[in-house]
Amino acid sequence: MTLPLRKERTVAAEMPHYRSQIRWREQLVAYLFLLPAIAAFTVFAWWPILNSIVMSFQQVDLMDAGASTWIGFRNFERMFADPTFVASWRNSFEFAGLSILIGFFVPVFVSILVNEMRAAKSFFRIVYFLPSVIPPLIGILVWQLIYSPQPGGLLNQVVIGLGGTRAGWLQDVSLVKPSILVIMTWGGFGATMLIYLAALQDLPIELYEAAEIDGARPWDRIRFITLPYLRPTMLVLLIVQVLGIVQIFMEPLVLTEGGPGQATMTPVFTLYRKGFLNGDYGLAAAWSVLLMIVLGALSLVYLRVTRATQQ
Amino acid sequence: MDASVRAVLSDLEVKTPRGRLTYILITLVLLLLAVFVVVPFIYAFTSGLKTSREVFSATFQLFPAVANWDNYGQAWDYFNLPRLFLNTTFLVIGGLFVQLTVSMLAAYSLSKLKPIGGRFLLIGFLTTLMIPGIAYIIPLYVTAARLGLLGSYWGLWLSYGVNAFMIFIFKNFFDGLPPEIFDSARVDGASALQIFWSIVLPLSRPILIVLSILTFVNLWKDFLWPYLVLLGEPDLQPISVALFVVEQRSATPPNIQMAGYFMAMLPPLLIAIVLQRYMQRGLSLGAVKG
Repeated sequence: MTLPLRKERTVAAEMPHYRSQIRWREQLVAYLFLLPAIAAFTVFAWWPILNSIVMSFQQVDLMDAGASTWIGFRNFERMFADPTFVASWRNSFEFAGLSILIGFFVPVFVSILVNEMRAAKSFFRIVYFLPSVIPPLIGILVWQLIYSPQPGGLLNQVVIGLGGTRAGWLQDVSLVKPSILVIMTWGGFGATMLIYLAALQDLPIELYEAAEIDGARPWDRIRFITLPYLRPTMLVLLIVQVLGIVQIFMEPLVLTEGGPGQATMTPVFTLYRKGFLNGDYGLAAAWSVLLMIVLGALSLVYLRVTRATQQ
Repeated sequence: MDASVRAVLSDLEVKTPRGRLTYILITLVLLLLAVFVVVPFIYAFTSGLKTSREVFSATFQLFPAVANWDNYGQAWDYFNLPRLFLNTTFLVIGGLFVQLTVSMLAAYSLSKLKPIGGRFLLIGFLTTLMIPGIAYIIPLYVTAARLGLLGSYWGLWLSYGVNAFMIFIFKNFFDGLPPEIFDSARVDGASALQIFWSIVLPLSRPILIVLSILTFVNLWKDFLWPYLVLLGEPDLQPISVALFVVEQRSATPPNIQMAGYFMAMLPPLLIAIVLQRYMQRGLSLGAVKG
């Protein structure tokens, strides 16, 4: 593995006409260092991504690739004909729309408020950050008992204590999506807030001082200085949020199994059920292909927006 | 970090009666939000101390009449938590080791050894960042099944070698190291591996620490892939997989459940609190990726 490099190499590196030659031993070393990554990416990323396209045109045999049979577009036909298809993607849209109302602005405003603190800033930073370090699955299991419709459910106890009536937070079609988004916001807003806080650190305070001299009141300063300043970051994080929403999976798996009705069926959860519960890998691969197109497109938008932001 | 720097409100404004009121209001709002954030943790902790009758009481009581610390011992045994912690640690440390090794070697090569086609490879690596792994989890599972990687830690460890983001961060870091060090080492006749081991590795310590902590927490949180790979091996499952399997399979009394969940949340919470500075720096690495 350790190939000796001769001394004149460095001298040669300064002479352009030597550089045009390919040094095969150096190339061999370079590729030996790259080999583990190339192998890992081939087996666990590049090939599965390509293979999902292959599999989506097959009736797949799990263990024997040779035993899989080509069936044309039948998997896609079945996917589009399935009522769950429309429900899953419609739910994704509804989740995305609702999440803009429920979760998106929370870290924006919290970051502005935390930035205003003259003391205890780091206390709030760390407390808000705590839910994002625990395994999401365990957080969801705890929330399951908070939302429980049984007498012990914490949220219903509080609501009844305040004079309200018992609600099925995860059983009622109109409540289940907001309830899940509350869990996601709880789990994620602290980390997002840190990104906004970092952006606010770069906001030149002279802008505030100048506005103050011009007689702008605090609320106007937020409206005309802080929020416009955060807008590029907000746009980037909006796309990140939609990317996350399209991937909702654990909440339906643990809390609702896609119900009530089909209110929390999501693309990833459906794909999981088709693939692993029904063993219909070809059909699941068709779902994968569509999901990859959607997520890939969103990532492209993300790239364009970040690039535009940095300029 | 500087606590006395002004923001929207100037220091003078904060000292006026109106400003003081605003400041107190802001503090109250933030404290209220902090309560909302920690309630699930406290609820899990105190429910774990309740009797099963208290857990099902219709009225709100945060704390039990008597603390049943015994529940925690029961949950410890019931979920076999020592085993689960051990499994998770073993799995995460191995995955961390593979991920760091694979990514650093690749990044070093791309940055310093000038492989032909290195740019295309880098683009190939980075493309995987655009498609979240969950989208191709089915073909990934099929691949792992055909290679005989299901049911063992190897299937997970090897797959954790894929992290384009880490390659990217390390490559940027190596690009920023002064080239003179590498030139003089080569003049002294050091091989590429020797340079990697005795120069690159020591110089990378700060970023290595930050990325290790971030990756440790992230791998500890992983659920779906370990769940699929270790479905048939209950003795090998890490903590979130095992807790989910137990929750699905049996009717566990809620007070025992909550005691178990609280203990399961403690290690990452402690890491986050003790190493918060590193965690937050790691997060800001993520923020500038793009």
